[in-house]
Amino acid sequence: MSDGRSDPRIEGYARGLFEIARAEGTLDEVEDELFRFARSYESSDTLSAALTDEQIPAAKRQAIVEDLLGGKATGTTTQLVSMVVGAGRGRDLPAIIDKLVARASAAKNLEVAEVRTAVALTADQQARLGAALANATGKQLNLKVVVDPSVLGGVVATVGDTVIDGSVRTRIDQLKSRL
Amino acid sequence: MNTIIRLLAEGEAEHDITQTPSRFWPERYEIIFGAFASLLIFGLLVKFAGPLIKKGMAGRTAKIQAELDAGEAARADAETEAAQIRTAKGDIATERTRILAEADAQAAAILEDGRSRVSAEVADIDIAAAAGRVGDELRAEIASLSSAAVDHVVTGSLDAATHQELIESFITRVGASA
Repeated sequence: MSDGRSDPRIEGYARGLFEIARAEGTLDEVEDELFRFARSYESSDTLSAALTDEQIPAAKRQAIVEDLLGGKATGTTTQLVSMVVGAGRGRDLPAIIDKLVARASAAKNLEVAEVRTAVALTADQQARLGAALANATGKQLNLKVVVDPSVLGGVVATVGDTVIDGSVRTRIDQLKSRL
Repeated sequence: MNTIIRLLAEGEAEHDITQTPSRFWPERYEIIFGAFASLLIFGLLVKFAGPLIKKGMAGRTAKIQAELDAGEAARADAETEAAQIRTAKGDIATERTRILAEADAQAAAILEDGRSRVSAEVADIDIAAAAGRVGDELRAEIASLSSAAVDHVVTGSLDAATHQELIESFITRVGASA
């Protein structure tokens, strides 16, 4: 997830995207797609470089977004990302999306729980994990699952400032530091 | 005596005694008496004061000579003393040169000794440092190889079943921690 910068422009974009998605009636879906796109953006240097390169015309950057998301995400999601990239705010995309997700969760009295795993979770696993995390933190959660191969195995869950790390990556790092 | 009295009488008779015959010369008898008186006094002086003066001069000469002799003796003593001082100074310079040479020799010996010790210590330190470096490098190499081995072994052993087992284990643990 991006850092907690409170740039008024980021807040403004997040509020704008939130209102558009809510007006469209696709807030849950758009929020989820945007969250996944933001994580992909963060993990791919090529994608982030292409969407923030000032030498590439805005229309071409928007075409890249539409190629990537077209058919895989809702039209609203594609248009919102394309609008942000076209406005030259591609660098702030993860922060804007995280604000939007936080705003959407807050609107439902939920807190965002980001879960990273090496392999995709089944619906049943997501439900049980969401319940377990809610039980452990005492909060109603909006679970966001990210498939992140760098985790290697296990799960890393982040709820606000709380991190519950059960990843193989961390265990290996600990073992390496002991070595 | 009678002649003198006569001359005086004649002189008084010939002219006014309140006036001198010449503007520059006194009366003749005054010249004669003056000459006699002077000769008499000179003779008395030669006779009585001469030996005293001669004796005083001789004494003075002897005294001056004694002072000169004393000065000469003092000069000779001073020269002797100066010669002794010069000799002693020469001895001191020699002694100083000897002491300095000795000190130089001792300093050189101490320096050499110190260099030897420092060289030995540096050699020890170098050996210790080299051993430490080799140990560190070895440890780093072992750690690096171990890390690579761990990565390889762990990622190689992570099959689908293991992934599911890890996820289930996490869910169970988090659920139990409430």
